Amino acid sequence: MTIIEKIFGRHAGKQVEPGDYIWTDLNLVTMRDFGGPNVIMEYLENFGEHPVFDKNRVAITFDLHIPARTEQVAQNQKILREFALRQGLRLFDVNTGVGQHIILENGLVKPWDIVVGTDSHMNLLGAVGAAGFGMGTTDIAGALYRGRLWFRVPQTIKVVINGALQRWVTAKDVILLVLKHLKTDGALNKAVEFAGTAMSTMTLAERITIASMVTEMSGDIGFIEPNLNVSQFIKSRVGQDVEAIAADPDAHYEKEYEFSIDGLTPQIACPHLPDKVKSVEDVAGKEVDQVFIGSCTNGRFDDLALAGQILRGKKIAPGMRLIIVPATTEVARQALKAGLYDIFLSSGAVITNPGCALCTTGHAGILAPREVMVSTSNRNFIGKLGKGAHVYLASPATAAATALTGKITDPREVSHGC
Amino acid sequence: MVVKGRVWRFGDDIDTDQIYPGKYLPLTDKHEMAHHAMEGADRGDEFIRKVKQDDIIVAGRNFGCGSSREHAAVAIKGSGVSLVIAQSFARIFRRNAVNIGLPILELNTVDTIKNGDLLQVDVATGEVTNISQDKVYRAAPVSRLEMEIIKAGGLLQYLKQIKRNEV
Repeated sequence: MTIIEKIFGRHAGKQVEPGDYIWTDLNLVTMRDFGGPNVIMEYLENFGEHPVFDKNRVAITFDLHIPARTEQVAQNQKILREFALRQGLRLFDVNTGVGQHIILENGLVKPWDIVVGTDSHMNLLGAVGAAGFGMGTTDIAGALYRGRLWFRVPQTIKVVINGALQRWVTAKDVILLVLKHLKTDGALNKAVEFAGTAMSTMTLAERITIASMVTEMSGDIGFIEPNLNVSQFIKSRVGQDVEAIAADPDAHYEKEYEFSIDGLTPQIACPHLPDKVKSVEDVAGKEVDQVFIGSCTNGRFDDLALAGQILRGKKIAPGMRLIIVPATTEVARQALKAGLYDIFLSSGAVITNPGCALCTTGHAGILAPREVMVSTSNRNFIGKLGKGAHVYLASPATAAATALTGKITDPREVSHGC
Repeated sequence: MVVKGRVWRFGDDIDTDQIYPGKYLPLTDKHEMAHHAMEGADRGDEFIRKVKQDDIIVAGRNFGCGSSREHAAVAIKGSGVSLVIAQSFARIFRRNAVNIGLPILELNTVDTIKNGDLLQVDVATGEVTNISQDKVYRAAPVSRLEMEIIKAGGLLQYLKQIKRNEV
């Protein structure tokens, strides 16, 4: 059995196969400041003040429009705060950060869990062997009421990544390479398992980067078998031993892909699709107005530290705006302690409060028509960050190098002596 | 569950912005939302003016791709459309449609169906009769689980009807 077949099988209490329709229990139901208010309105309309299925298995996270910047958003956030108060639910307010990262840091997720939420990148929880699914408001309202939802068991495809990364080449470059080949519908309605020699040693931050972009391939979820470091992180947060999770050796995969990353160069997704991937070398020199480092894909401490290595002691290009946003407050404090805030501020960066930041026009820093941004986020759809703006997706290293020169730059070009 | 209606024919990759343009996202009234169903698609203006109760949408590949907005399925259902047939559906749209009680069917041979054809469809078995062309097609039947939710009128209605230990 593949990992998703095992998780669904355990939760459904029977052996399952791809194509089966099942009901399962849920370990955690989440909603965020976007989508969440609609969930609550739908819940109240249908179930009134009926207590949720289990108040200890619900988490509300604020990560998109934080703190509120319009009256409408303020009103939406109030709906969530008041519901949480009436129902005794855990709420992570505007001072915390990206929801999926917050529930990981707070020990609310472990391998084998099924977690649902109103965020399309909920599936990055596959980085720790948990099944996370982004869903619509009706699903989440039903999940709040009953603690159970229906699923169609997906086929699984396997992506084997072998080899070792060169310096300044990152997990982001690896997943962009995969996207280049699988395209934006390459994992449609499927689970993905990442394996191979390159995967086994990857850190939690790197795994999150990879798992998060399965959404951009239209996949349901991307799993990476947890290694010792990941298990220890989860154990320290959950406060109990972590059960291992892995596919069976004879698991059936619908398709298998193999990539070698020996010699991989920094990659970049060009406007306006995440699979329009080229080598950074091939688009180097393109003028850039703004750089964003952060997001659920690249907002961990390791990501910021990598950018810090390139920015240390240097200034960003004249006219460049560099916006850096830690994924969570925990990450921000780590960065502060490590001296990264000083490096960033000295380089000329703007650092804003932890959250999703520049993934939508809901955040400060959106672009004017025809402006160009290099972003470490996961989507570059047309209009998503300002009408007529052009967004390139790249690693924190490429983003930092680009901020220094004002042009798309291979990090290996500016990293001498770093 | 048998439905009978006239076909509104659409192409491949009809995304949620064509089904329900983003500028109407702030609307919360389901009747108002229904007036904008398919507004962004080719012939969307005609659809809005002429769509009748029980009409059927027939489309190509990947219907409902794009954003996760549930408005898309809600608006189509509200417009009176009784069924959406497509060669394939995007995952979230398919899930949203079932969850709000909008029947959907996947049919490989949509190409032969023309705009304005009269169809009679048994949603549970997937049998599609094209009365205008005197043809019968076999669509993949909707799963029993999805059918139960659709029949109840949607996920929340279904959950209200059944007891905790029944699913």
